[in-house]
Amino acid sequence: MTNLPLWFIPLFPLIGCIVLGAIALISSGSKKGPSEGFVGALSVLFPALAFASVVLLSFNMPEGGIRATLCNWIDIPMFKVDIGFLFDALSRIMLLFVTGIGTLIAIYSIGYMHGDRGFARFFAYINLFLFSMIVLVLSDSLLLTFLGWEGVGLCSYLLIGFWNHDINNCKAANKAFIVNRVGDIGFLLGMLILCVVGGSTILNYDALTSFISSIAAGGYAEGADVVKAFFNALFTGTFTPDIVVPILSIAGLCFFIGCTGKSAQIPLLTWLPDAMAGPTPVSALIHAATMVTSGVYLLARLSTMFVQIPVILDVITWVGLLTAFWAAVAGLFQNDIKKVLAYSTVSQLGYMFMAAGVAAFDSSIFHVFTHAFFKAALFLGAGAVIHSLAGEQDMRKMGGLLKKTPVTACVMIFAFLAIVGFPGFAGFWSKDLILERLYMSGPMGPFFYVGGLLTAVITAVYMGRLIVLTFFGSYRGSKESEAHIHEAPATMLIPMVVLAFGAVFAGWLWADSMGIKYFEEMLAPVVGAAQAVLPHNAAHVNPMVFAGLGTLAALFGMGIAWAKWGKARIPAAKGSSAPQGKMATWTFFWDYVHGVVVTVVDAIAWFVDNFVDKIVQFAQWLVASIAEILGDGVASFQVRKVRLQIALSLAGVVALVIVVLLTGGLI
Amino acid sequence: MEMELQAMYVQILALVIFAIGIIVAVSRRNVFFVLMGVELALNAVNLSFVGFAKTLPADLSIAGQIVPLFTIAVAAAEACVGLAMVIMIFRNRESVDSNDFSNLKG
Amino acid sequence: MLALIYFIILGVIAVGSALCVLLSKHPLYGALSLVVSMLSLAGIYGLLGSPFIGVVQIMVYAGAIIMLLTFVIMVLNAGRDSKTPRFDKVSLFVIPAAIVLAGLVGFVMVRSGIAFDATTLRGSVKLTSETLFNTAQEGPGYFVLFEVIGLLLLSSMGAAVLMAKKRLGTDNEEEK
Repeated sequence: MTNLPLWFIPLFPLIGCIVLGAIALISSGSKKGPSEGFVGALSVLFPALAFASVVLLSFNMPEGGIRATLCNWIDIPMFKVDIGFLFDALSRIMLLFVTGIGTLIAIYSIGYMHGDRGFARFFAYINLFLFSMIVLVLSDSLLLTFLGWEGVGLCSYLLIGFWNHDINNCKAANKAFIVNRVGDIGFLLGMLILCVVGGSTILNYDALTSFISSIAAGGYAEGADVVKAFFNALFTGTFTPDIVVPILSIAGLCFFIGCTGKSAQIPLLTWLPDAMAGPTPVSALIHAATMVTSGVYLLARLSTMFVQIPVILDVITWVGLLTAFWAAVAGLFQNDIKKVLAYSTVSQLGYMFMAAGVAAFDSSIFHVFTHAFFKAALFLGAGAVIHSLAGEQDMRKMGGLLKKTPVTACVMIFAFLAIVGFPGFAGFWSKDLILERLYMSGPMGPFFYVGGLLTAVITAVYMGRLIVLTFFGSYRGSKESEAHIHEAPATMLIPMVVLAFGAVFAGWLWADSMGIKYFEEMLAPVVGAAQAVLPHNAAHVNPMVFAGLGTLAALFGMGIAWAKWGKARIPAAKGSSAPQGKMATWTFFWDYVHGVVVTVVDAIAWFVDNFVDKIVQFAQWLVASIAEILGDGVASFQVRKVRLQIALSLAGVVALVIVVLLTGGLI
Repeated sequence: MEMELQAMYVQILALVIFAIGIIVAVSRRNVFFVLMGVELALNAVNLSFVGFAKTLPADLSIAGQIVPLFTIAVAAAEACVGLAMVIMIFRNRESVDSNDFSNLKG
Repeated sequence: MLALIYFIILGVIAVGSALCVLLSKHPLYGALSLVVSMLSLAGIYGLLGSPFIGVVQIMVYAGAIIMLLTFVIMVLNAGRDSKTPRFDKVSLFVIPAAIVLAGLVGFVMVRSGIAFDATTLRGSVKLTSETLFNTAQEGPGYFVLFEVIGLLLLSSMGAAVLMAKKRLGTDNEEEK
């Protein structure tokens, strides 16, 4: 059977976006808006078609992947880039859960967005997002990935600020967009550096891989004279391996900055908690399951490059560790149910980056995969809770919902067990694997391992707190609101249940300690070669030890949470749900850092405005006045007759030619 | 000397036409003649280009035959703007005598 | 020999009609003489082996530019301006200067001794267009110039339209 063309996959959401956008525009004048049933059916249809085509392609994919060049995009002498798609094991797994979870969340949104005036607009954005995400994942060159990268950033902006009547939502959207832009500069610079080193062709992933392997084979000596090689490159335009590897390190750092922006790592992580201002399905789809993991995807995609620059990998590990720990502690302090989940997402992304930092790209992607299920389930569950409480997001005003909304509670508890790493659940396998790889990574390994394990304990504490505060104890809200609590409609419950199944069973694709390594074998053609480059600690430790320690950490954390919040009477909440005092200091630490940076830049700008600019203005004034004085002088030679002057100048030319001839110039 | 077409004849012709063009442009007072004189001078330059191009060997002779194309295009732009200016000035001054146009006097 | 005869005929026509431009009273007659001069120049281009330039000369100069000039002369009805004298004191000054200049340059040029090259290429449509649109990186790069000329024509067209149109705001109000 011949395969579907690859461009079918992004085509469906694009059509969906155009059709739904047209519906939203046409109906914008009417009072009632378009039929929700019709719009909902359309908005699920196109992601589902994309998912179906991905599944169809997945079964027929040859070992090396499918490559298809659609057309040329930019074709000028200096710069040639094609629009091409690459469907290999890595993009397959990403596409499967992007389109699959996208479809589920589209179904969920039909229930969640019921009655909203922007119903069609919302789904147009969701389809646009899926299109951009598919382009990001499916493209075969960095430039096309960048197109998708910007596209998902735009959709994130549009969807965070979806309820744009509230100025705070717009501010959160702006913040997300601007912070991401800082990261995007890194991505752009990285691409430019690669172009300088190897020409525009190496923006293509395959060409980049072969370029890197030729550099690696070229023999790079650690103590090479970098400065000399740099000047050599500067003056002759030839790049020797001595200089290429340091330049690649800078490029790698730039790409990593891009990843920190998109995946909310230190220092560009402040936007993600604020991004919770958007509708909850958006938080589940974009800010938990798919978009924020694109940074991890990029690291895995460029794994051949990153393993050649171990310095940057160390940076990545440290950033991941710090982010994971910091966000986990910040998660402890939140009262808003979505904020807890947001910090938890940041923390889990930190795990993924740690794994990527020790060149365990496959387990990193595996955690992306399992995380997509349980975090989406948690967000959708939180959405259902918020929905049933008519918009209440403060956990201190919840409680005892286990009896009132049993299905939601079960889904969230399963997902909770997955995220804390309870044995057998999805998160257990992936987190365990990451910790194991961290331990084996090298001399610093045990330290990273302890840091990861500590973070796992804190994860169990704050997630336990969320579950306890929301579902156990007694209801702490007002009496009249208690009567209105209801279970979510079926369109919301079904996707949640499906995701909960994923949260329970997705981990069995790579149950390392049980000997099931299906996932690893699947990803081996893409990242296996890269991972073999770096040396690993040979000391073998029984995987059961890691599994046991991980389980203990989870149980210990859950125990702390139960002991602290399980029985205690929580005082009724007053004021806003934002953390206060020292908790706020911790939570908003990076906002504070950003503030300092902005202040410094402001100060520089003020200085330039008031001093440097004045000097420039003075220079301008000087030039202008000289010209004016000269002009005034010359203007007095001007007579009224233009033709006379031209005739005079002609006579002047004649005189000049005669002089030149007489002095023998031209002959 | 054999009676054949010489490269020099072409240049002499170009020179004569150029001189006539300059004379028309500067000595006539009617602005239309000024424009026509400029066109004539430009034509002479083109002729000179082609004439010189034909004195160069093989590949070198192409450039001299490409540049007149650009000159013609620029001349078209120049005529377009020049005529628009004539129209505008004529509308303000009711005159086509270039002696009447002295707005730029300092 | 034949080429020389043709050249002399065309050259005499070109110079003669150029002199007609100089001496004609009405600008319309001047424009028509100019057309004749340009057509004969186009013939000389063909004679020299650059037929493409000759064709462009006929189409753009004789066809478009002079057409435009004639059109403007007729629209402005500048014939009533016949009281403007053909020549004045400045002219008496200019004509000798230009003739002397041409004589001097011609004197220098005649002594330089240039001659036709036998291997020179014929500027056919094919060769000209291939050179003009050679977009190879190591090529002559005329295509960039070509694009720039497009921009120049566009901007000059815009400028001409802006200058020549009536000021809608002012004129209409005055009419009211």
